[in-house]
Amino acid sequence: MPTGTSSGKAQEVYDRINGLTGDERTKTLVDLAKQEGTLSIYTSNTDLDKVIDGFEKTYPIKVEVYRGNSESVLQRVVQEQQANYNGNDLVETNAGELNVMADQNMLYPYEGALRAAVRKEGQADGWTATRFNVFVVGWNTTKVKPGEEPKSFEELADPKWKGRVSLEVGDVDWFAAMYKYYLDQGKTDAEVRDLFNRVVANAKIAKGHTAQGELLSAGQFAVTASSYSHTIDKAADQGAPVSWHPASGTPVQPIVIRPNGVALMKTAPHPAAAMLFVDYELSEGQKILHESFRVGSIPTADDPVAGLTTISVPEKEMLDNPKKWDALYEEIVQSGREVK
Amino acid sequence: MTTASPAVSARRGATLGWLRRLGTPKVIIIVVVAGLIGYLALVPLYYLIWGTFFDADGFTLGGFARAYGDPRVGDMIGNSLWFAVGSAVLSLVVGTALAYLNVRTDVPFKGLFFAASIIPLIIPGILYTIAWIFLASPDIGLLNKAIEPILGPGFFDIFTVWGMVWVEGLHLSPIVFLLMVAAFRSMDPSLEESALMSGASRWQVFRRVTMPLTRPAIVAAVLVMVVRSLESFEVPALLGLQNGIYVFTSRIYFVLRSYPPDLAAAGALAVGLLVLALIGVTISNLVGRSGKTYQTVTGKGFRPRPMELGKWRPVMGGVIVLYFFLTVVGPLFVLLYTSLLKFYQAPSAEAFASMSLDNYRQLFDISDAMTALKNSLALGLGSATLVMILMAVGAWIVVRSRIPGRQLVDHFSFVPLVIPGLVLGLALSFVYLRSPVPIYGTIFILLIAYCTRYMPYGMRYAVTSMHQISAELEESAQVSGASWWQTFRRVLLPLLSPGLLAGWIYILVVSFRELSSSILLYSPGNEVLSILIFEQYENGQFTVLAALGVVMVLTLAVLVIIAYKLGAKVGLRQD
Repeated sequence: MPTGTSSGKAQEVYDRINGLTGDERTKTLVDLAKQEGTLSIYTSNTDLDKVIDGFEKTYPIKVEVYRGNSESVLQRVVQEQQANYNGNDLVETNAGELNVMADQNMLYPYEGALRAAVRKEGQADGWTATRFNVFVVGWNTTKVKPGEEPKSFEELADPKWKGRVSLEVGDVDWFAAMYKYYLDQGKTDAEVRDLFNRVVANAKIAKGHTAQGELLSAGQFAVTASSYSHTIDKAADQGAPVSWHPASGTPVQPIVIRPNGVALMKTAPHPAAAMLFVDYELSEGQKILHESFRVGSIPTADDPVAGLTTISVPEKEMLDNPKKWDALYEEIVQSGREVK
Repeated sequence: MTTASPAVSARRGATLGWLRRLGTPKVIIIVVVAGLIGYLALVPLYYLIWGTFFDADGFTLGGFARAYGDPRVGDMIGNSLWFAVGSAVLSLVVGTALAYLNVRTDVPFKGLFFAASIIPLIIPGILYTIAWIFLASPDIGLLNKAIEPILGPGFFDIFTVWGMVWVEGLHLSPIVFLLMVAAFRSMDPSLEESALMSGASRWQVFRRVTMPLTRPAIVAAVLVMVVRSLESFEVPALLGLQNGIYVFTSRIYFVLRSYPPDLAAAGALAVGLLVLALIGVTISNLVGRSGKTYQTVTGKGFRPRPMELGKWRPVMGGVIVLYFFLTVVGPLFVLLYTSLLKFYQAPSAEAFASMSLDNYRQLFDISDAMTALKNSLALGLGSATLVMILMAVGAWIVVRSRIPGRQLVDHFSFVPLVIPGLVLGLALSFVYLRSPVPIYGTIFILLIAYCTRYMPYGMRYAVTSMHQISAELEESAQVSGASWWQTFRRVLLPLLSPGLLAGWIYILVVSFRELSSSILLYSPGNEVLSILIFEQYENGQFTVLAALGVVMVLTLAVLVIIAYKLGAKVGLRQD
């Protein structure tokens, strides 16, 4: 049963390394991590495999991975921690789930020069962003001709998009960010709801970004209101007729960005290996993620959202009152359909 | 305490005698099996009930308010019932017709026909549904494009309740097919022959003799199908949502998706299903119980001889081929076609030019693919075998024994059917994280999960077959001096084998797809195929997923054909 190291010992290692920099940090980490020998990661990031391959090639450490959706990663960590079972050293998943774990005091801060280089939105309490989900308005380029591309989200409420737009049934975080954005722009609650209701009245609801992206490529939908940029970029790279960049001009803005990140478990049996992995993911790993069309957390020269208006998800509010946003989005997605 | 007195030792002697009587293999086996069924059902049921009715402040009915309080709940239940009853009727008609043709007539290519009838079940639900979108979407459907010159654009619309019924009904028809195959195999054709001799027409015989004799199987099929479709989420999510058709399970999705999941509301919905299901089980037992009505396997020897179709043989052959083109070849072709592309696009010269085996190559590059295939095979074979052995004894307890409370065994075995997979996963991890026996983190926790999930199906298959076997066979064996265990093993098991084999095939096939509890319970090294499917699905590689689907269909089809060939060698011999 992986219950070896006591939490105190892990925290000693974390504190010691957090204070080190440069070669000294790497050397100490590698020495300690080699003694530990293995590393257990729980993740919902399907592109992490390639990062793990790179890590295992660089360091003589065996990595065990549990992959699930972000909900099951969270459920598993919570169940195990409540039973004092230390199944993992490291968790790599979405912001909402990481915030819950941080809130329940299961994570330990990671410090260093690499964290300091991460986009401000990604230096969260208890965890550090490794990549960003970028929600964009995408379209099928055979269904939407150059020049006809939507210019704004509001435009999708226009009757000319009737039956051509797709929303995703689980995108509560994107919805909350957009909703807050319009309130901040001076719209009233009623006006924001009306806007969403009218977009939903034009929309076909999909479940899952992958199915939605596939159906966009196939032409079942003309426009998706909240696709991940990497879903569209990957498909376009395969030759599919999809894009989120208009033939001329800039993409639809604002763009909601939400960090996904990594955190050290407070009770990790292999704390040094865990820290070594975070260091790796924030350096070499960033290049590997970039190859999978992911937007890394440390801005690079060819930053895909550079110069564009981005907004964040109201994390604190979503954490304090998760049911409120769920219920509101559920209601709008369902009742908006009745607006003719 | 006083010193030992003669009274005490006498009592001890009585106890020992009592124990000796209880210590027979029969009693031990019955107690162990009933205990296991109870244990497997009660762990998740307790977790579910506790989570539904109790929160931090004590007893509550808040979950019911949240689950049923939605103003649109009436519409949802209406849609759900329409969808569930429609799918059940479709699968019943299709499954029964195919089973009858396969078992009772001399249609050509029986082995292939058998495997083809099961294929819709093998294809993962997501893939089967998306394949149908590519075939029958009013916007991009290939079938619609093909008939557009004759019937105009958008003739078929898969995004309706009828479309949902079509996909779900066909996808689940193998459950009925397998149940009915078992029932028809154990049927004495002399009854039908007598009816024919007395001047009844073929159709009259089918309606008045054949169907009534298989009523227990039909009731079991309807029951399982209705509950399954009420619970189904993949088809309504992919087809219904697009046009705003919401079903009962949409609520379960909405209440479970955020953290902490609203287990109380999900539980309240499951409790609703549970009540419905238990009423169904009771009805099905009342139907099956009515004495000797359905017992066609009696002391009188018979050989189920297939009916000669004569001049109808080529006609039926044609109908079957047409059916398979529509329901099996169509979706399979879409999958095969997609698995060769870089992304899905309508067939064109360009699309064909871009075809390659890259997706298959990628599939075999996935580091865990072989481990996952091995684990899925081990778990599928293991859980199918264990469940069918347990349920054979379970069915004996329910149908044959006079033990008080035997109906409870049947009810408990049915409970897991209504428990959401996520709740089962949570319940099992909760228990085994705290158990001194190291089961958590090993493949055995998955085995326990699978046995729990598939127990209801196993029981339906076993009970249905048991209803067809006359008690007089066991009685004669016992009169001739056979022990209970010998009778069970040498008389009952062979006679039950068509039903047990059908249930075994069903569990083997669907276990390859189990995701909702596996995803919480597997650990590194214990990956299963459904986890790979899920990853490919999450990762946006639909074309690789299609390739995985094709490989799964081929693997399982081979297994099913082997099982069918082996199955034909045991139990009732056919001419």
